[in-house]
Amino acid sequence: MLDSSMNVWMVILLSLLLLSAVFAVMIRDLLKAAIALAAVSVVLTVIMFLLGSPLAAVFELSVCAGLITAIFISAISLTKPGTQEELAAKRRLRLKRFIYLPILLVLIGVGLWLAWPSLKLDIAAVGTGAGLSVQQVLWDARSLDILGQIIIILAGVFGVVVLFRGRKAR
Amino acid sequence: MSDMMLLFPIFVPVFLGAVMFLVPGKAKWVKEALLLIGTAVTLVVSILFFGKNMDFVLPWGGFGMDLSLKLYQFSSFILLSVAVFAFLIALYSVVSMKGHEQAKKFYAYMLLTLGFVSGAVLANNLIILLFFWEGLLVLLFAMIMTGGKKASPTAVKALVLNGVADLCLLLGVGITVFISGTAAMDKINLPMDFWGSFAFALMMIGAIGKAGSMPFHSWIPDAAIDAPLPFMALLPAALEKLLGIYLLTRISLDLFIFQPGSGMSIAMMTIGAVTILLAVMMALIQKNFKRLLSYHAISQVGYMILGIGTALPIGIVGGLFHMINNAMYKSALFLTGGSVEKQAGTTDLEKLGGLGRKMPITFTCFFITAAAISGVPPLNGFFSKELIFEGAAESGLVFYIVALLGAFFTAASFLKLGHAAFLGKRRTEHDNVREAPWPMLVPMIIIAAGCILFGVYNALPLNNLIQPVLGAKLGGESFAGILPASWLLAGISVGVLVLALANHFFGVKRTKSGLGAVDHIHYAPGLKTVYKWAELRYFDPYNIGMVIVGGISKVLWWVDRGIDWVYDKFTVRLVNILSLGIRKAHTGSHRLYIAWALGGMALLAVLVAVLI
Amino acid sequence: MPALFLLIPLLGVIIINLPGRKIGNRMAVWAALAVAIIQIGMAVTSGSMVWQGLAQVVSLPFGASLQIDLFTAVVLATTGLIAAMSLILDKNAENPRSLYFGSLVLVTMMGMNGVVMVRDIFSLYVFLEITAVASFVLISINKERDPLEGAFKYFVMSAVATVLILAAIAILLLTVGSVGFKAVADNLSAGGVSPQVIVALILFIAGLSIKAGLIPFHAWLPDAYSSAPPAVSMLLAGIITKVTGVYTIMRLITDVFSISSIMKTAFMVLGAVSIVIGALAAMRQDDFKRMLAYSSISQVGYIILSAGLGTPLGFAAALLHFFNHATFKSLLFVNAAAVESRSGTRQMSRLGGLASKMPITGGTSVVGFLSTAGVPPLSGFWSKLLIVIALWQAGAYFYAVVAVLASILTLAYFLIMQRRVFFGKLREGLESIREAGAAAVVPSLILAGITVLVGLLFPLVLLLMQSQGLI
Repeated sequence: MLDSSMNVWMVILLSLLLLSAVFAVMIRDLLKAAIALAAVSVVLTVIMFLLGSPLAAVFELSVCAGLITAIFISAISLTKPGTQEELAAKRRLRLKRFIYLPILLVLIGVGLWLAWPSLKLDIAAVGTGAGLSVQQVLWDARSLDILGQIIIILAGVFGVVVLFRGRKAR
Repeated sequence: MSDMMLLFPIFVPVFLGAVMFLVPGKAKWVKEALLLIGTAVTLVVSILFFGKNMDFVLPWGGFGMDLSLKLYQFSSFILLSVAVFAFLIALYSVVSMKGHEQAKKFYAYMLLTLGFVSGAVLANNLIILLFFWEGLLVLLFAMIMTGGKKASPTAVKALVLNGVADLCLLLGVGITVFISGTAAMDKINLPMDFWGSFAFALMMIGAIGKAGSMPFHSWIPDAAIDAPLPFMALLPAALEKLLGIYLLTRISLDLFIFQPGSGMSIAMMTIGAVTILLAVMMALIQKNFKRLLSYHAISQVGYMILGIGTALPIGIVGGLFHMINNAMYKSALFLTGGSVEKQAGTTDLEKLGGLGRKMPITFTCFFITAAAISGVPPLNGFFSKELIFEGAAESGLVFYIVALLGAFFTAASFLKLGHAAFLGKRRTEHDNVREAPWPMLVPMIIIAAGCILFGVYNALPLNNLIQPVLGAKLGGESFAGILPASWLLAGISVGVLVLALANHFFGVKRTKSGLGAVDHIHYAPGLKTVYKWAELRYFDPYNIGMVIVGGISKVLWWVDRGIDWVYDKFTVRLVNILSLGIRKAHTGSHRLYIAWALGGMALLAVLVAVLI
Repeated sequence: MPALFLLIPLLGVIIINLPGRKIGNRMAVWAALAVAIIQIGMAVTSGSMVWQGLAQVVSLPFGASLQIDLFTAVVLATTGLIAAMSLILDKNAENPRSLYFGSLVLVTMMGMNGVVMVRDIFSLYVFLEITAVASFVLISINKERDPLEGAFKYFVMSAVATVLILAAIAILLLTVGSVGFKAVADNLSAGGVSPQVIVALILFIAGLSIKAGLIPFHAWLPDAYSSAPPAVSMLLAGIITKVTGVYTIMRLITDVFSISSIMKTAFMVLGAVSIVIGALAAMRQDDFKRMLAYSSISQVGYIILSAGLGTPLGFAAALLHFFNHATFKSLLFVNAAAVESRSGTRQMSRLGGLASKMPITGGTSVVGFLSTAGVPPLSGFWSKLLIVIALWQAGAYFYAVVAVLASILTLAYFLIMQRRVFFGKLREGLESIREAGAAAVVPSLILAGITVLVGLLFPLVLLLMQSQGLI
């Protein structure tokens, strides 16, 4: 299914994805981190489009890149910036903390590269849910998961209520 | 008569014995009545049983462990003897144990013992036999314990020595049952091949250990001092001999094919001869009435083992005859000892003397029974010994000479004992001693009369009780008669008795006292040291065994310390170190924890990769 | 009927939180308790004809996706039991947030019920997440520093587990093309074991091991257990980690990855390591609840070891130990809560001699720890005995010996605990201590009663297991 030009694009996009993700984790400014996360979502959207899953791509773009980033940014705007000393201390700590990350990434990359041929991941061989419309997938085949999602949201709401409402009162 | 009746002699005494424990201690005569009723019922039942053949089988434990009882000529004879002795000794102990603080327990144990002995005699299944046999071990221990606190080391000694013998019996039974494939005693008839001989030897050790032969004897003299007197008259003198010799005869005659001149025969005769000689030598120098008797109780077993060990009909008949005779005169002798103790307050020969005038009936009974044990014709002991002598002489001259030596020392020691206790000068503190009460005298008189009867009219026991046991093996021969078969051997025996008498007079003249009659033997050069060591119990197999066990236990103690160290110190330290290490490893950093999880996954992957 | 196990708690949550009507904190807990008790009743009767008849009359949604078998029913009943005990215990703490507590317990119940009943790896993941999210909130419900830290660690480790499980599901989806248990299992057995599947398997096992707290995936567990509020740590230790980790592993072993010798070895090694290291770690803990947490790790090791054996008896023993462990470990957590609420500390070095002042707590904790250590005739003895027998029969002699020796360690650390907390001389400053209130005493008596009864009536339990074809 994937031709060679596609492969080149995929490699570029995946690298971009990885880069944005590392950036999101490493950057010290929360605002920039949120934007980097949005970038991850955007790249992911593009990948999904290319792989022929437009619906998932739309969800990803609207919810993750759009909505969540908006929430993050509005939340960050409510915080106050730290002092210079605090920032300096945090930077040192961060460097110490992430010093092994590149090494780890390289190691995993090498490992996967070596292991790839023996794994023989034949992605093209199977299709997923082929022949079913999105509607069918969501409401017939996976209706239980929808219920599950609702309950997760419920739990999340309780979490927000429990953990964040009291702070105002205090 | 239903075959169920066979349960009577077992369960009636056991039941009454159990009831005895429930009797309040202060109730007068209830416990005595129970004891007498129990023994009397058993006696009546066994008289009814006498000469009958009965079988009773109750499938019980499975695996061939049936409650199988068999009454036939031999067992009915032994059962009757047991019941007679139990009844007479019960009668005696009702008086002699009066006021004894442990009387109730003693009576209860006595009844239980009676029931268990009956069970062991009637058992027709080796497993059932073992059950009763081991029960008797416990009862033996319990009965000695009624002698009070000082008796407990003796009780332990008896338990250990008999326990070892019983263990051998257990092993022997195990091998026998394994080889023959059945535990039913009347179905076993094994040849003496290697395993057969082994099983025979083990069971023989069990039997002679119960009878009190060497080297399982050394608790008996101690028990003579520590345990209540009726115990001595009942168990070591009578019941245990009967039971031990009964089993020995059973295995020799029925369970195994036991041939004259075989290795086992010689081994058994050797044990008998050694027991005779060593025990009687020890008896000779004793200065205590009961202790002296107790060594004879051991020595006489030697004769029986020697007789049966010949595997000749004449020897076996002699051994069995000696068994019943010995049970009679030995229990009577113990009873006279008990009378003396009760009336004079001591059994120490140095403090006794001249009691014959004060206690004429006791003295008469003593005189008759002592003559019987010494083998004075025409008393029962003379005839049974003659039979054994003949068997021994036929099997080997050495055994005959040893047996003869035993007879000499037996006579000498009883001359000394009688002289020291009943003749000679009376001590002033014994001026008020009176004859024992009638219930104590009656059993003695009956038994002493029996000694005369069985001697003069020896055809009665021989033809009716003993010779039928051998049945066809005897070939219709009878050893009964007014006079012994071999004039030569009888003459020699009488000569030995005369020699013993001469020796006695020599000794008395030398030391001017009855007690010192054998001092010239006691303090003879060479023997003196040996005797000293023996008195210090250097030769007591129990003590030797204890020293060895002590050494082993010391080694084991160190081993145990080592194991302890591993358990208590090493393991605890190791666990502590590991535990602390694990605790310290949990630093609380979630990054570390994630690393662990990923590392764990990697290890898992490696494991799977290796396994594939 | 299966859908009821999701819908009834959902209804409960909605009723408790109905806007407009002010329903009190107290009532909220009672309502949740009622739901839990209904769940026990439904689970116990799940095999009866009544429900089958009902199913023909009324058709409920999700009938095809949710299924109940014996294993499921046992776990559902246990879930209801422990949830009920936890709700009772919460009244002890006089939690001002009982409204939320009740709701969240119901949410976790929904999550666990879903995990237990689904037959589809993706749905399994969804319900695992429900349980996890609700658990984070529950742990930190009082917003104190330590619980927040514990919840954070749980959150982080859980996120790792999520990533691993999702990756595994993705790979399986790619290779198999379906996510139903049956479809995956069929495909696996038909196609043989391919490298992709093995990778997926390892990822799945690792993820679930984090949830179950197997060593070395366990590190979040002591912090979370010990810092959480009493009722929550009981819920976590008694049922949540058991369902999300242990049950899922057992279910996947039986239904999906039909156990191969490689899997067997992997699980048995994981189990044995957890048993030993968990027990060793418990030995030197000073914090009462932390010690219980390590003990939990060790006991979970037993379940995994036995289930990983792959024999029917091993599975039955694991199931029995699952139930037993849920009861006696919850019992010990209740007692820890009682001690903490009365004395104000969990540090064993500051406790001592409480048995004279708190006889019920002291007594039931003896029952609990003896059962954990496998002392007859309590319930834990029988399940451990079955485990050892199963191991021995299967020829896993080494593991059998490890299992037995670790029982000695278990006894050792619990004896240390009992001596330091309940026996010995009463420590100064604890003279005025009283027996814990009904909210703690009632659950501990119920759980101790179950432990003793299952032990004493074990022949009946065995008969039941035989009649169900388990052994």
